[in-house]
Amino acid sequence: MTPHLPPPCLICEGLERYLGEEESRVHVLRGVSLTLEPGLVHAVVGPSGCGKSTLLYLLGLLDHPDAGSITIDEVPVASLSDEDLSATRNERLGFIFQFHFLLQDFTAAENVMIPMRRLGRARMEEMRARAEFLLDAVGLGAKVDRPSRHLSGGEQQRVAIARALANDPRVILADEPTGNLDTSNSERIFSLLTTLVRENEKALLLVTHNPEIAERCDWVHEMKDGVIFESRPGLRAPGSAPS
Amino acid sequence: MIPPTLYIATRFIVSRKRSLILSMLGVVCGVGFFICTQAQTQGFEKYFIQSVLGTSGAVVISDRFQPRYTQFSGTSSADMVASSGQNARKYYEGITDPYRLMRVARSFSNVLGAAPIIRGSVSIASSFQSEVLRLEGIDMRYHLGATALREQIISGSIDGFGAQPSAIILGWMLADKLQVRVGDNVTVTAPTGTRTFKVVALSRSGINIIDETRGYINLGVAQSLLGKPSSASVITLRLRDPGRAPELAAHLERLFSHRARSWQERERGNLALFSTLKISAGITVSLIILLAGFGIFNVLTLTVLEKLREIAILRSMGYRRWDISAIFLWQGLIIATFGSLFGCGLGALLTFLVSLIPINLRGVIFATHFVVDWNVYHYLYGSAIAFVAVLVATFFPAQRAATVPPVDILRGSGQ
Ligand SMILES: Nc1ncnc2c1ncn2[C@@H]1O[C@H](COP(=O)(O)OP(=O)(O)OP(=O)(O)O)[C@@H](O)[C@H]1O
Ligand SMILES: [Mg+2]
Repeated sequence: MTPHLPPPCLICEGLERYLGEEESRVHVLRGVSLTLEPGLVHAVVGPSGCGKSTLLYLLGLLDHPDAGSITIDEVPVASLSDEDLSATRNERLGFIFQFHFLLQDFTAAENVMIPMRRLGRARMEEMRARAEFLLDAVGLGAKVDRPSRHLSGGEQQRVAIARALANDPRVILADEPTGNLDTSNSERIFSLLTTLVRENEKALLLVTHNPEIAERCDWVHEMKDGVIFESRPGLRAPGSAPS
Repeated sequence: MIPPTLYIATRFIVSRKRSLILSMLGVVCGVGFFICTQAQTQGFEKYFIQSVLGTSGAVVISDRFQPRYTQFSGTSSADMVASSGQNARKYYEGITDPYRLMRVARSFSNVLGAAPIIRGSVSIASSFQSEVLRLEGIDMRYHLGATALREQIISGSIDGFGAQPSAIILGWMLADKLQVRVGDNVTVTAPTGTRTFKVVALSRSGINIIDETRGYINLGVAQSLLGKPSSASVITLRLRDPGRAPELAAHLERLFSHRARSWQERERGNLALFSTLKISAGITVSLIILLAGFGIFNVLTLTVLEKLREIAILRSMGYRRWDISAIFLWQGLIIATFGSLFGCGLGALLTFLVSLIPINLRGVIFATHFVVDWNVYHYLYGSAIAFVAVLVATFFPAQRAATVPPVDILRGSGQ
């Protein structure tokens, strides 16, 4: 790493999280630390149940850690009010859930516009144009006005990805974004996200079970039983030397 | 641009059209019934007040009094007819110089008309039967300007009444009892003697107790018949603003040293009855609106449970707790707005239909149809009650929606 790096987009240190009540209480995260620098793509890999989603919920400010700290764009989030947390989620974070979560009564474009409406910085036509642009980028240009319940699982997932990008967030947290997709769509989404991140100084944290994809990331964090036990550069990352 | 929360609220409403329309129907009915019942009770009350004002006047000036300075002296005075212990006054029956008081009273800007009346109880007989007659001697020159007598004439004519010493106007129910019609003769027996009168007109005030006993003759004739020359029992005043009658009465009482009573004071009992009726009808109907509120509470609580997932998604996309509450409060606001709008429409329709219902009221007042009052305040109050009920019913589901921790739902679903 060069000494002149700009400040990281997201830092977490010593994150711990317990889930469940009393006897079924589980120590899901046992001290996770990560730093996401702008322009880099990070992959988190690990067996099912190791705590990847739990980590992403914490980083996405949807859950509160039992210990540890999170800093987004140099702001420690522990002290933020609900109002500020919401604003941060809306403006700076793009969250792609493991299970595509769309609003059922809304069309694809309307789903993508929901975060933009909350931000309220653009005019209706601009929002609409951006929604169409993003849906086109994920390969759904023809299904912009389709009600989301009439979309297939993979299509819904791609709408969710377009929606996560709606407000042009600095940090994108993606929980298996390509889990339901065929190879070509999977490729399209991965290159869309990585290009976006590399060209716009964003940060991407990607959970994946696909080693093919993981090795093309700048960093791969291997996780097990609630800890990251190894962080290494991706084997086929653009900048890495061929092994 | 419409607020995003309103936008989402309308979409949520559309997705639960049926149950929300059903619960809105409750609001519509509640507001409609409220308006309709208020229109009726208020209608009858106004009708009654109108009759009172048109018949006995807004302010009635009667007996002269003298403040009693020494409490126990002079009690044997023959002039004294009544004394009120509280006010310590000595009353003298009637008004000795009515026209002078009338002149002064008319100088008040609120006074539209003033008329002298002499009263006495006599007996009246037709060829069929005899009855008690509460006789009023009136000065037609002033009387029509101070009362609604002209509008109350239902048959015959009062033109030239002042020039006919033997003319009598009878209450229509009294005429009924005596079985006399316009043009018939009746005999009136007073302490000073008996006289024959010709019925020239029948009147209907709408208040039965008056219409059963009332008869009008000329003031001068009445004075001699009752043996009270050149005096009057009362002066009746018609006011521009009857609502201010109590103040004027109090003022005139001090000014004239005569008892002066406003219609509000005289009819206190009946007015209390009407307002009790209005309140009880209002309470009954407010209960309907309350019930509608419960319905809305149920529907919205169910909506919140059904939309837990979307709430969590919205939260994850940066919607604040307050935004989530707002989405549900908007729904309540929309229901309340349309509910009270349609409710006002229904209320107007019901009020109109009710006013067409023929009835045969012969109790305190006389009416052939339901009397209704068209009053914008009924619509405002009805809508206000609906808004309060709906917003209270919405508040708790909205509150609950805001406190849903998003991660529990996101983690829970799909796994
Ligand atoms: N509410 C809960 N109470 C107790 N334990 C829970 C609760 N929710 C999740 N867990 C446990 O926490 C652990 C981590 O879950 P998490 O969803 O983070 O796993 P993951 O790494 O995302 O798995 P996958 O790859 O299957 O998505 C799991 O063992 C799970 O059983
Ligand atoms: Mg997971």
